[in-house]
Amino acid sequence: MNGMQVTEEIPVIELVHPLPGFPEDRRFALVRLDEDGAIFGFQSLDHAAPQFVVVPPHAFFPDYAPEVSDSVAAELGLTGAADALVLLLVRAGSSLADTTVNLRAPLVVNTATRRATQVILDDTDLPLAAPLGD
Amino acid sequence: MLVLSRRVGESVVIGDDVTVTVLEVRGDVVRIGIDAPRSVRVNRAELLQQVADANADAASPSADAVASLSSLAQAMRGRTDSASE
Repeated sequence: MNGMQVTEEIPVIELVHPLPGFPEDRRFALVRLDEDGAIFGFQSLDHAAPQFVVVPPHAFFPDYAPEVSDSVAAELGLTGAADALVLLLVRAGSSLADTTVNLRAPLVVNTATRRATQVILDDTDLPLAAPLGD
Repeated sequence: MLVLSRRVGESVVIGDDVTVTVLEVRGDVVRIGIDAPRSVRVNRAELLQQVADANADAASPSADAVASLSSLAQAMRGRTDSASE
């Protein structure tokens, strides 16, 4: 999946549930931060903050294939994997070596409806803070 | 906080459509079953807190950090593109 082409069609994303810790923010803009579509800003439209950095997992974790439960799929109206865009929240450290992504709780976006949610996966082996540049 | 005593096999009904049942008590571990509509998300409290903490850590990085990440991402992407051809 080419994240850049998909997300260019998604100016505004609506969270069906707010991100844990940010109950007041439901509408976000997904904006490209580079030419290639490898890194995005995820910016609240309800308030001036928060903004996040998110990345499609493919370039960093080629084997990452989160299993989304039937209930999440139903809630987002997903009919198949082709509708789903997975994005990882990045915690930018003081250096790249100190930068991590959250593999346990990715954002899942329905690219057709622009509805999204942060999914907390059942797989306890997935870290909340995986080094990005290993 | 409402406090109720329940025996194994007994339940509590929350609202119209959430039922919590005590399934087993062994030492200091209590197994509970939760029957709820799928629109009701059920998570362990400490895991939800960990995700909230991780989100707070990730929120609003500095412009410098974002710029560094952008260059890394481009380098990684270049590597992936050549590998997949």
